[in-house]
Amino acid sequence: MCKHPYLRAYLAGIAIPTAFLLAIMTAYTIDRYAYDMPVPIERVIVFPMAAVPNAWGLWNLVYVAFLQKRHVPLGLFGAALPLLLVPGGYLVARLLNFTIPPVAFHVAPIALPIALVVYYLVWKYFVGFLNAELGVA
Amino acid sequence: MNDHEMNEMKKLFKEALSPMRDAELGRDLWPLMLERLAAWPLRMPWWDWVLLAGAGATILFVPGVIPALLYHL
Repeated sequence: MCKHPYLRAYLAGIAIPTAFLLAIMTAYTIDRYAYDMPVPIERVIVFPMAAVPNAWGLWNLVYVAFLQKRHVPLGLFGAALPLLLVPGGYLVARLLNFTIPPVAFHVAPIALPIALVVYYLVWKYFVGFLNAELGVA
Repeated sequence: MNDHEMNEMKKLFKEALSPMRDAELGRDLWPLMLERLAAWPLRMPWWDWVLLAGAGATILFVPGVIPALLYHL
């Protein structure tokens, strides 16, 4: 288990959002096509489908390559990822002319701290578990 | 492949592969497996429980945050 540690770190990082994407896509598809939800999610679905899992993989790779030896807590490092993803998601939505529902701006002050907490817990326990199982912890 | 060729093949395999020695385990691994299964794998400190409860309660009372969270997860 000493070969390709960065590849294993990348794979451990993308595993959680990739698996979770199945549930998200199912919910979005049912809402959009079965219940005619009037939000064209398919225009921005590329962000959670492609950008987020790769960002997780690269974030974990950076952690394993540079920060693990300095004993930086994985949970805190993972909690910093939304600080990049949230502006990134907003930028993608603006570039693709996606009209962000006004309620998103109203809940943003609540959603951001919740995202930080969720990311902290998921990275600390789930990504940490995968890193240990794949021998890169 | 006839019987003669099969026998030749078996002979070649036996010559190529050395017989295994000390194939038996030195100790029983099952008690270790049971010990690992019985061990509580997840030890969360109290502040993580507080964070989890707070996040869960907020999501419950402000469900509008769910689409934003799903978009970024």
